[in-house]
Amino acid sequence: MSDYAHLAGHRFPGGTYTLAPWLSWLWSDACKLEPDWGTAHQGLAYLVALRGAGVSIQDIFDLMDATADSGVVFGEFQVDYHGVLRPGATYKCEAEVVDVERKSGRRAGVFDKFTFQVKVREQGSEDVTVVCTNSWIFPRAEGE
Amino acid sequence: MATREIQVGQQLEPFVIESVDPEPMKTMAAILQDPNPIHFDPASTVALGLGDKTVNQGPTNVTWLTEFVQRFAGGAEQLVTLRIRFLGNVLAGDRFECTGMVTAVDADAGTAELEVGATSDGRPALGGRAVIKISD
Repeated sequence: MSDYAHLAGHRFPGGTYTLAPWLSWLWSDACKLEPDWGTAHQGLAYLVALRGAGVSIQDIFDLMDATADSGVVFGEFQVDYHGVLRPGATYKCEAEVVDVERKSGRRAGVFDKFTFQVKVREQGSEDVTVVCTNSWIFPRAEGE
Repeated sequence: MATREIQVGQQLEPFVIESVDPEPMKTMAAILQDPNPIHFDPASTVALGLGDKTVNQGPTNVTWLTEFVQRFAGGAEQLVTLRIRFLGNVLAGDRFECTGMVTAVDADAGTAELEVGATSDGRPALGGRAVIKISD
C-alpha cells in the first residue's frame, strides 16, 4: 500500500496572484450572485489561495498519483478571515501540505485525506488577509 | 462600539437556489482550471455511477454558504472563520438551501458562533460552523 504521509511539510512554490476584476465579476455571476466590480466575494478565498500557492488542481492530482477521473472530492474547507479580498489587489501566498492521512470508511472505502494550508497576504503588507485550510479526499483501491 | 442583539437559538434567514443551473459549472470549471469532467460532461458522471447530472463545484457551494453567513453577519468584514465539511454532491437541477442557527454568543469578544449547513434536494450537502463579529 502506498503511503503519502511523507508529503506533510511539502511546500508549494508559493508566489503572487492578482485577483483580476473581470474574474471576480465572473465568479459572482457564475454563482448567481450580484456581480460588483468594486467588491470581491469572500468565496474567492479558495481561488486566490490555490492560484497564489503556485499549484494547480492537476499538480495536486499528480502529487497524489491521481487523475481527473479518480473521483477526488472535497473533504473540509476552513477559512480564517483577517481582512476582505479586493478586486485588482495582488496577494502573496505561502502554502504547504499539513497532513496526508490514510483512512477507511464503510461507505467511502479506503481513501487519503490530503490537507494543505495557504496563508494569503496583500502584497506589501505583513498582515494576513485570509488563511485557507483545505482537505481533499482521494479514493484508493484496496492495496493501492 | 455597537453590539448587535443576537441570541442563542436564533435562526438565520435561509438562502435558497431553487434549481442549480448546469451552465455556470462550465464557467467555473474554466475559472478554476478544474479538469474534472463531472462538472461539465454528463457522460462522465454516468460512467462514475453518479447519474446523468453534472456535479456543482465545491467552491460554488462554499460561496453560497459564505454569502448566507455574511448576509446574516452584516457584511464580508464581519466574517471571522468558516469551517465547512462536504457531505454530498450538489447536482444540476437540485434545490440548494442553506440554514443555520446561533449556538453561542461571546459579548466580551464581540463574536457569535453559528451552526450552518446546506441541503441539496433535501440531502445533506454541507455542514459546518462559523464565527462572526457582532460588534462594529
